[in-house]
Amino acid sequence: MRTAVLAALFVTALTPLGRLWWGPTLWDRLAGAASLNVRVALALAAEAAFTGHGILLDVALAYAVLGFLSTVLVARFGERGER
Amino acid sequence: MIGVVLLAVALALLLLGGLGMLRFRGPYMRLQAAGVGDIGGTVLFLVGLVFHLGWEATGWILVLLILFFVFTGPLSTHAIAKGAFVRGQLPRER
Repeated sequence: MRTAVLAALFVTALTPLGRLWWGPTLWDRLAGAASLNVRVALALAAEAAFTGHGILLDVALAYAVLGFLSTVLVARFGERGER
Repeated sequence: MIGVVLLAVALALLLLGGLGMLRFRGPYMRLQAAGVGDIGGTVLFLVGLVFHLGWEATGWILVLLILFFVFTGPLSTHAIAKGAFVRGQLPRER
């Protein structure tokens, strides 16, 4: 069950990775990065819940906070900066 | 049983959101697909983990994670869309 869930999450994480790779503008790439951050945090939470290592839930929460902050910061930077 | 169904629905939502982000044209349509798929898939996935594994394996931090995703997903989507609009990206017709 754990392997199946993690493999399915990996497959769903391939699509934002493709948008991050091929995105023509900065905003497409940023949306791909934000979506990829969400999937990585979900994978960390699933690993923590399946194996019982509760410390990984804290890691997932910290990863989600840092991913959100980096997304907003890069969006604000690209909003006023010169590409 | 409920947990497995919720996990399957959540993974399908995440995959559909990702496929929409690959196939749609323009940043705004991609952001719409990604935002909807991510919020629904994330909440259903974490609730499915709670139902599948029980309350002892997950704990309160998972509730905190659900609340965090619910509150910050629209914020990051709005930040990206506002940046794209301010920098002159116009929505396409079709």
